[in-house]
Amino acid sequence: MLSESERMTTAHEAGFRIKDPNSKPRAVAVIAIDKASAAIVDQISKEKWHGAHFFTSLSFSTDKSPAEGESQAMKAWLNDLAGRALNLVAEVEKSDFVVVITAAGEDARAVSVISDACAMFHKSLLGLVIPQDNTSEADIDHSLGHLRPHTRMLVVAHGIDYIEVMLTALRA
Amino acid sequence: MLKKEQNDYITQTGPGTPMGNLFRCYWMPALLSEELPEPDCPPVRVKLLSERLIAFRDTEGRLGLIDEFCAHRGPSLWFGRNEECGLRCPYHGWKFDVTGQCVDVPSEPAESGYAKKIKLKSYPLIEKGGVLWTYMGDPEKQPPEPEFEFCTVPLNQTFSSKRLQECNWLQAMEGGIDSSHVSFLHRGDLNNDPLFKGAAGNKYNLGDMAPVFEVVESSGGLLIGARRNAEDDQYYWRITPWVMPCYTGVPPRGDHPLHGHFWVPIDDENCWAWSYDYHPTRALTDSEVAAMRDGKGVHVKYVPGTYIPLANKTNDYLMDRAAQKAGRTFSGVEGIGMQDASLQESMGPVCDRTRENLVGTDNGIIMARHRLMRAAKALADKGTQPPGVDVEHQKVRQAALLLKRDVQYKDGAKEALIAKKGVRQTSV
Repeated sequence: MLSESERMTTAHEAGFRIKDPNSKPRAVAVIAIDKASAAIVDQISKEKWHGAHFFTSLSFSTDKSPAEGESQAMKAWLNDLAGRALNLVAEVEKSDFVVVITAAGEDARAVSVISDACAMFHKSLLGLVIPQDNTSEADIDHSLGHLRPHTRMLVVAHGIDYIEVMLTALRA
Repeated sequence: MLKKEQNDYITQTGPGTPMGNLFRCYWMPALLSEELPEPDCPPVRVKLLSERLIAFRDTEGRLGLIDEFCAHRGPSLWFGRNEECGLRCPYHGWKFDVTGQCVDVPSEPAESGYAKKIKLKSYPLIEKGGVLWTYMGDPEKQPPEPEFEFCTVPLNQTFSSKRLQECNWLQAMEGGIDSSHVSFLHRGDLNNDPLFKGAAGNKYNLGDMAPVFEVVESSGGLLIGARRNAEDDQYYWRITPWVMPCYTGVPPRGDHPLHGHFWVPIDDENCWAWSYDYHPTRALTDSEVAAMRDGKGVHVKYVPGTYIPLANKTNDYLMDRAAQKAGRTFSGVEGIGMQDASLQESMGPVCDRTRENLVGTDNGIIMARHRLMRAAKALADKGTQPPGVDVEHQKVRQAALLLKRDVQYKDGAKEALIAKKGVRQTSV
């Protein structure tokens, strides 16, 4: 007599697996944190995505008139492809996870602000470092150093195609 | 998640398929040396990349890997008589040498030259590190012999085994580059298995269930670093090398031997899970070898006389719910190898990746698939030699080490990740 595991691991039995969707669409914020990566994000955004939202820059402002006794509050804004400035914290809260993209060697310090927002809502932050044509190993190290303390997964992705592959694999 | 056509592309390795052509660029483990122990020993059936073959060691000790079936009427040469420098079909006496050349057709006059017109397909078979390796690609593009460290150290420093795994090669291999499962599936074994226990690094594995990953491309594949928090402003890093298309190294523990795997397609629904253990600088001890032969570490116990795991799907992997409940094993299956295999086989003969839901920490898997498909396409479109063929790509080592938090692992572990003769592994 066949064991249960033997019977259930055939190609025939695989045909009886439930076909209904086993997940809901994800909301993913994809954020370029420097000028060079903004062009990359802009290019990727032209593909068809299910729940990915793309942002090409991060900027900051301060409240002009803090109440007496309060410190000046810093606000972070994301710029989307339509040129709208959207509140970073609100966008992170709406997302299931966040992907930051930086071109190797660029200033990636802004990731700490995004990381703080992710921590506030317990969202995973993934980091992609994209080497450019003239990128040195030191540039890559520099970017990794900025991103490492903040990301749950850090990838050096040679080529823009990998970003698309990864977002597709993650059902973004 | 992969689309169905992508899943088919990457999982199918038969003749003429893009991934099959990719595999045919490499030397691959075909048999253990012990399977052909002496001249004129019994021939052994081999199925690789969906091709049926027969292996034998002739009277002079030469190794042959040829089409399994006699060119006359098609019976299996497994029934053949291995004698006088050839394998003779017992049906009508046709005889073939290690190159597949027919050397005798008894029904035809020897002077007629008829035998010279008959030749079976054959592949080179070489012996290295206790393993018989074959290359199934274009003879004109045959690469240099493999230089993975486990097959280049003296024989008393290395031990290899293989087991049948009844699923597609890719879902098996993906387990080898997914080190996040260790803290769950194998947690019961880290402090008990004789080939794992006692390592200082184990406490970090068990103490931090949410490792943080860093994936970088290497010349031959990937380096997948998993970091866990350690004391004194340090990270505990475990770095897994993957060399294309199917070699993985498991980061070491203490002074235990290094181990890892090859995942070799038999056909699209079965593969050989090869497991190796070696130490770069010393002979394996008797107790280590005994443990390996007893199925400890990454090895398995066998159904006697076979390379089929003793715990297998026909006996529900000897599932022990009491051990699972008591926490002696996390899944109820004993042994690291079969803990992996049982779950991977349960996915079905070929995992349906259209339904999976990967997360960010699966980026090692995502990138490995991407590199495999990219290399197969470059080979098909431009004839580009894929990564991992160059022997320099094979001289990598797995490593486990503590680094200050501000040190980049690819810098801090740079020397540790290179296989160097006579230099001990870097391990915690």
